[in-house]
Amino acid sequence: MKTIFHVDMDAFFVSVEELFDPSLRGKPVVVGGQYDERGVVSAASYAARKFGVHSAMPLRTAYKMCPLAIFVDGHPERYREYSKRAYTVLQSFSPLVEMASIDEAYLDMTGTERLHGPPLRAAHALHSAMHARTGLNCSVGIATSRLVAKVSSDQAKPNGILWIIPGQEARFLAPLEVRKIPGVGKVTEKNLHELGLRRVGDLAALDEKYLERRFGKWGLALAGKSQGLDAGGWFDTEVGEREDPKSISHEHTFNVDTADVDTLESTLAKLSEMVGRRLREHGLYTRTVQLKLRYSDFTTITRAHSMDRATQIDTDLFEQVRVLFRGNWKAGMTIRLLGVQTSSFEKLQGQMDLLDGGHHDKWREALNAADRLRDKYGESAVSLAAGMKGRFRERTHENPAGLPGKEPRRD
Amino acid sequence: MEFTVGKLDLVRELSLTQGVVEKKSTIPILANILLEAHGDRLTLTATDLELGIRCSCPARVKKEGAGTVPARRLLDYVRLLPEADITIKFLENHWANLTCGRSRTKMAGMSRESFPELPVMPEAVAQIPYKQLSSMISRTVFAISMEESRFTLNGALLVLQDGAITMVSTDGHRLAYIQNVLADGDAHSFRALVPRKAMGEIVKLADEGTADDKVSLAGDDNHLFFKFGERLLITRKLTGNFPDYERVLPKENTHIATLAKLEIRSAIERVAQFADERSKAIRVQFSPGEVRVFSSSVETGESEENVPSEYKGPELEIGFNAQYLLDFLRAISQDQVAFALKDEKSAGELQPASTESINGHYRYVVMPMRI
Repeated sequence: MKTIFHVDMDAFFVSVEELFDPSLRGKPVVVGGQYDERGVVSAASYAARKFGVHSAMPLRTAYKMCPLAIFVDGHPERYREYSKRAYTVLQSFSPLVEMASIDEAYLDMTGTERLHGPPLRAAHALHSAMHARTGLNCSVGIATSRLVAKVSSDQAKPNGILWIIPGQEARFLAPLEVRKIPGVGKVTEKNLHELGLRRVGDLAALDEKYLERRFGKWGLALAGKSQGLDAGGWFDTEVGEREDPKSISHEHTFNVDTADVDTLESTLAKLSEMVGRRLREHGLYTRTVQLKLRYSDFTTITRAHSMDRATQIDTDLFEQVRVLFRGNWKAGMTIRLLGVQTSSFEKLQGQMDLLDGGHHDKWREALNAADRLRDKYGESAVSLAAGMKGRFRERTHENPAGLPGKEPRRD
Repeated sequence: MEFTVGKLDLVRELSLTQGVVEKKSTIPILANILLEAHGDRLTLTATDLELGIRCSCPARVKKEGAGTVPARRLLDYVRLLPEADITIKFLENHWANLTCGRSRTKMAGMSRESFPELPVMPEAVAQIPYKQLSSMISRTVFAISMEESRFTLNGALLVLQDGAITMVSTDGHRLAYIQNVLADGDAHSFRALVPRKAMGEIVKLADEGTADDKVSLAGDDNHLFFKFGERLLITRKLTGNFPDYERVLPKENTHIATLAKLEIRSAIERVAQFADERSKAIRVQFSPGEVRVFSSSVETGESEENVPSEYKGPELEIGFNAQYLLDFLRAISQDQVAFALKDEKSAGELQPASTESINGHYRYVVMPMRI
């Protein structure tokens, strides 16, 4: 039987801002931008949440709900730095740490009793160490599965610890709303409500064959989840097990649909850079580049090209995606969304080029240097000249590039 | 039009044209072969608009004229006929009437008017022995790029200059270079990119000749012409600039390993079975007196072999694509090879090495892999 900790930082972005400006403490704070700007709330303090403000809400709506809130611009580089510090603390408790996003992590604590004591004592030590070494509060959920650990850390918030004793998982989950199950979003929730299923217990009481008929494979996963088992998607993998992604992509939806070639191509340059950064972060080289293009009327096309050698160089990606764009865009038609996707990964660059005169190697070194600048000063610190016009402000993101514990492997 | 032709003659010429006939054409006429009877000969023409071929054979012409029929079906049918004379007569509706012994067939055809005109061959710039041209092609054709977007690399560079004929091909990872003396005093200077598909057809046509036969080479602004006796191959030139290959021919590869070709070739063939399937990466370790080849892959296992070599340079371990090395080792006839190196990050060079004198100059440059 496993002992899994789910550690979730409390109001992470807001708490980090409070460290830099202690006067924010206890006040309604909204991180993400100014009250009159376009954009969405990245995080809200507990005081602001009382007014109904929550993340992903438009900033202007948040202002209407809570006019007295203090609006703060996001500082992605600060969050990355504190995420790294938190990661270091976690690593001192278990070698198996997996950052699930910038402010939450799973720890496999199985077999650490003789070192850290029973689960609650270990969690208490972790909780104190986190506060002492980062100045931040966190909540810890403890259970035999990742899924129940995650749900219990949510119930423990803020600044609490909750241990679900082995065998009590289904009883713990039963009274909770189905929405609390990780993986159940708006759509599944609606579907379940239509069947009269509101609590996790309602779901657990059903025959899994029925759920399978109704929802297919996802139904089986739901049945498992409702019993407190790790089922479906990455919940099936072990903590700390690194699965290489099958594809890496970035998309951008324009604030106003556009048919301006310069804007479109520089957006593609910017997206290629973002994808290239992810590729380097994962230590992967791609062979296939795909363009996604959505017109104003929502017709969407994807076009892919496979190269004869694998690359992780931004300009190589951009060159390919631009050829696809020029060959497939119906010139003059306004575009709503552009996306760049890469797949068919290799772990080594492999074959060196005979004709480019070391050009590829020079780019590689330059981009590695650029990545280090971005780690330090934020994603917009350096960019391709071609992508300058297509620049959009880095959103404060739960899954940014440069997540601790996901550094490129140096083989 | 009406003529009589020997079955063997017709089958031979039809076979030579098949490689040029468009197989998945959206233009129906390109799947047809143009038959023209004139004087005492039958001329056969096929084209896919990139490549064109014109062959001919003796025929007894009763009535001159021209017509077209599907090339593939004509060959498939004629092959099945007994070895006898075949009489072909075109009817008013462009159908062809074939009679041979007791066989009588009517084939649906199309009017010759819709068949594209092929360009006329200008004056020849050089005469090249069949065998010479064909062997130069088979030593370079495998290094041509398969990546369609790199269109200037989808063929080989052909250069005639100062009494020498040179052919170069590259896919950006390796480069094959061959130069021979051209024993044609009247040859002009000439430079063109020959598409890969044309190179394959040239080899086929050259196989039909003897050691003394010579190809007449000519070019206009857009086309290249290769005349093999009565047979003419026409190809569009590739446009664009071929890379500056002289810049990448190694000049400082001073560490040389000489190896018995068959030994190193079979060693690589075996070891490559355990290389990563996609990258085909193997490691080659050069040490004094010995070259070691090895591979390992998580999925399949690992394998290694040692081949004795007169090597006096420093210890070097370099990754290579096994396929690239094998392409060269399978293309040469000599029994020894020389592997010239600089370091792990620079291009290696392979050359045939032999105690007997080597005709011409053949160099093969391969970039290493990072492993």
